[in-house]
Amino acid sequence: MFKKKKITIMMLIAMLVVAFTACSTDTTQPQDQGDVAPNETKELVVYSTRNETFVQPLLDKFESETGIKVLALHGGDAVINKIKEEGRNVQADIVISNDIGALEHLRLEGFLQGYEPNGIEAIEERYIAEDMSWFALSARARVFMYNKDLITEEEMPKSILDLADEKWKGEFAITRGGNGSMIAHISALRNEWGDDKTLEWLDGVKENAGAITQGHGDVRRAVGAGEFKFGLVNNYYYHQQLREPNDNNVGVIYLDQAENEMGTVVNAAGVGFVKGAPNELNGQRFLDWILQPENQREFSYASLEVPINPAIEAVGEAAKISDFKVQSMPLRELGKVWADTRNLIERSGLDLEIR
Amino acid sequence: MNNGFLEEKKHKREIQVRGFLRTFFSIGINFWNRIWRGNAPDFPLFIFASVTSALMGLPIIYVIWRSAFAGKDRWVRLLDTRIPTLLWSTLSLGVIVTIFALIIGVSLAWLVQRCNIPGRKAMQWLLALPLVIPPYVGAVTYIIILGPRGWIRDWFGSSPFNIYSFWGAAFVLTMFTYPYVFLITSAALKKMNRSFEEAARAQGLTSYEILWKVNLPLLRPAIGAGAILIFLYVLSDFGAIAMLRYNTFTSAIYYQMGSYDNLSATVLSMVLILVTLIVLWIEARTRKKQKYYQTTKSYKKPQLYQLGFWKVPVLLYMLAVFFLSVVLPITVLIYWSKLGIEAGALDQRFWAYGWNSIKVSGLAALACMVLALPIVYLKSRYKSYFTIFIDKLSYSGYALPGVIIALGMIFIFNQYIPWLYNTPTLLAIAYVIRFLPQSMQSADSSLNLISPSIDEAARSLGFAPLKVLFKVIIPLITPGVLAGGALVFVSAIKELPATLLLRPPGFDTLAVRIWVETSESVYHLAAPAALLIILVSIVPLKWMLSKY
Repeated sequence: MFKKKKITIMMLIAMLVVAFTACSTDTTQPQDQGDVAPNETKELVVYSTRNETFVQPLLDKFESETGIKVLALHGGDAVINKIKEEGRNVQADIVISNDIGALEHLRLEGFLQGYEPNGIEAIEERYIAEDMSWFALSARARVFMYNKDLITEEEMPKSILDLADEKWKGEFAITRGGNGSMIAHISALRNEWGDDKTLEWLDGVKENAGAITQGHGDVRRAVGAGEFKFGLVNNYYYHQQLREPNDNNVGVIYLDQAENEMGTVVNAAGVGFVKGAPNELNGQRFLDWILQPENQREFSYASLEVPINPAIEAVGEAAKISDFKVQSMPLRELGKVWADTRNLIERSGLDLEIR
Repeated sequence: MNNGFLEEKKHKREIQVRGFLRTFFSIGINFWNRIWRGNAPDFPLFIFASVTSALMGLPIIYVIWRSAFAGKDRWVRLLDTRIPTLLWSTLSLGVIVTIFALIIGVSLAWLVQRCNIPGRKAMQWLLALPLVIPPYVGAVTYIIILGPRGWIRDWFGSSPFNIYSFWGAAFVLTMFTYPYVFLITSAALKKMNRSFEEAARAQGLTSYEILWKVNLPLLRPAIGAGAILIFLYVLSDFGAIAMLRYNTFTSAIYYQMGSYDNLSATVLSMVLILVTLIVLWIEARTRKKQKYYQTTKSYKKPQLYQLGFWKVPVLLYMLAVFFLSVVLPITVLIYWSKLGIEAGALDQRFWAYGWNSIKVSGLAALACMVLALPIVYLKSRYKSYFTIFIDKLSYSGYALPGVIIALGMIFIFNQYIPWLYNTPTLLAIAYVIRFLPQSMQSADSSLNLISPSIDEAARSLGFAPLKVLFKVIIPLITPGVLAGGALVFVSAIKELPATLLLRPPGFDTLAVRIWVETSESVYHLAAPAALLIILVSIVPLKWMLSKY
């Protein structure tokens, strides 16, 4: 008993030491903020979840055209968690995300601020946040990528429903259910089918999938190498695989395109404006700048994605957004159903499943 | 008159205050002495160790704070559905990897240090090389070789076993973690005095009996230290495990983070901390009553065993391990690097990344060497609940996933210590939090071989306690401390998750470059950076081994 007491006392002392160091520096903080006159900075801090090679050239271009120094942090999905953790002393101005669900999640949690940039009219309303705190620039369709050595286009399944069909047991690869693109996709399916049918579908997919991987890169590689006949990916993974030095004999199927079918589910990459951005004015300039047509083009070209704005031409291999049928749920609805979708996926057990 | 009255009053109060302070201090000193059982350490040393452990405790404070807000429902849901299976998959993998890594590491160390193997000197560092190969790189190479569509399949028509399985993960992790045991055990074997073995032989023990009854018990602290490093490493690894499609606590934490569920992630982390504590407790428990000291004065170099008939099988065994853990992965890397360099992976920025890596990891290694010493020394020489507590606290960072540490540091530094935020120094601090236990274990196992009677002798000659530490102890354990620093360096240069989140915007390292490419599975562009990490790490590794 007495031993326990001592240990707790020790823990308290340790915590006090921490609290002390923490408090002693606390006083300097307001001064810091006072030094920075709003809107008169020469910097822009951009956090991005996207692959650096897609984003950095664009940021370099902004820097050379405006003279504003861009400090970029390319950190994968975890930058969203970082923004949430930095809420009390905001560091980032702009967040670029692969996944609209993430931006809408940030908005709903109060980490973004609205701004109406010049040229926003070019983007269709369903791809803009209610308060204009984020907008999408490039879309990626959810597609089946298949290995042409193993299966022909005619033999390939054409609907997302087919994944739950026993016929394809062990033949395909998907990412785990907790993946952002997957959550967005399943949200759209719920919107189309309702929860019961979606859950049934999830159970079937979990049963049938030959591999469940951490990310889409693994699916792309596994299909390219012929481990599986096909896999569910975003369309630009198909374009990437085409550019690999080997294992590149792959094809693509846009899903559910027949007359009475729902169309393929589309997710998008976009830009959000962080609330309390330390370089607010530069953030606004960036948002205006990126909506200039040539920069919109740059944004989706580097990643081989489809521009949201149909006036902008797509890269060679990619279908234009007006060329295929898109499932009807607006992306801006995503944040509201996000938590429910997550719970549904969790119920199916697909969220952490990896094999 | 009036004045005098005031004076008197003041005087009275002074006496009261003094009396109060005296009782206060005597209670304090009493308490203080009781904690240390009458053997209190030097105050500066104590303060230094406390501040270090407070720093090490940051991630735990964050996890406790956050998981306290997770709500009962989330706890119940996770406890019901997730935690039992995750616990089983994580612990079983940890135990298997630890056992195999111990077998390989200890046997290799003994063979290299004690037997007449041809090329002993070279073997000493060649067999430590897997340490510098990041396990996620190792995992990729084995997928390329053994995977369902790997080279083996291309050559022989079928792959002998499924790499995406429990045993696949266990194999890869074993091959790239056994050097922790190998190094620490080798260091201890080198310090081991031949006179023990000679005494045993004089008593008529056979070589085999000497191994089991003299060598292994003397190696017990080193083996325990290595086992802890490996087991906790398995707990915290993410890269290799995700690539091999296995699931542990840490990967589950990452997946929760991936869907922005920070709270569930901290709940799982809380469980991870408990597991770590239990593991540390078990290790401490099993060596509780044992203490082994060596005298250095009468030190004699050990004799080499003549292997005779066993020479060939032993050599084959060593070469097989070397081939699987070094030659194969590096061959694959060179192959991919060639493709990558042809595709233009080397540009000017590439070298800047390399320099950044060296700078931050070097800083972390230096800091760890300095910081580990007081904690280890206090723990070994002034055993008390307090020293046990700060020692255990220091392990929290090692077992927790890097991303949790990073978020904890963001949480604390961004709000309260913003002048350090977004600096490379913060990155170095993160490495210290993650890897200090490596240098602690290394220093600890050296210190454990030095009897406290040496301290007492020095004290009786009139040395002050701090002087004993600097003049006597530090020179004796320098090899162990340096080895620890080198371990930290090679770990820090491979570290990814914390680097990714904590580096200042625009600051990149080699590990980040590898991640940028492998996250999209573009291996040929990642390979040159991986190769450079390996080359850079070889320098401190070799230097460290030559200092022994």
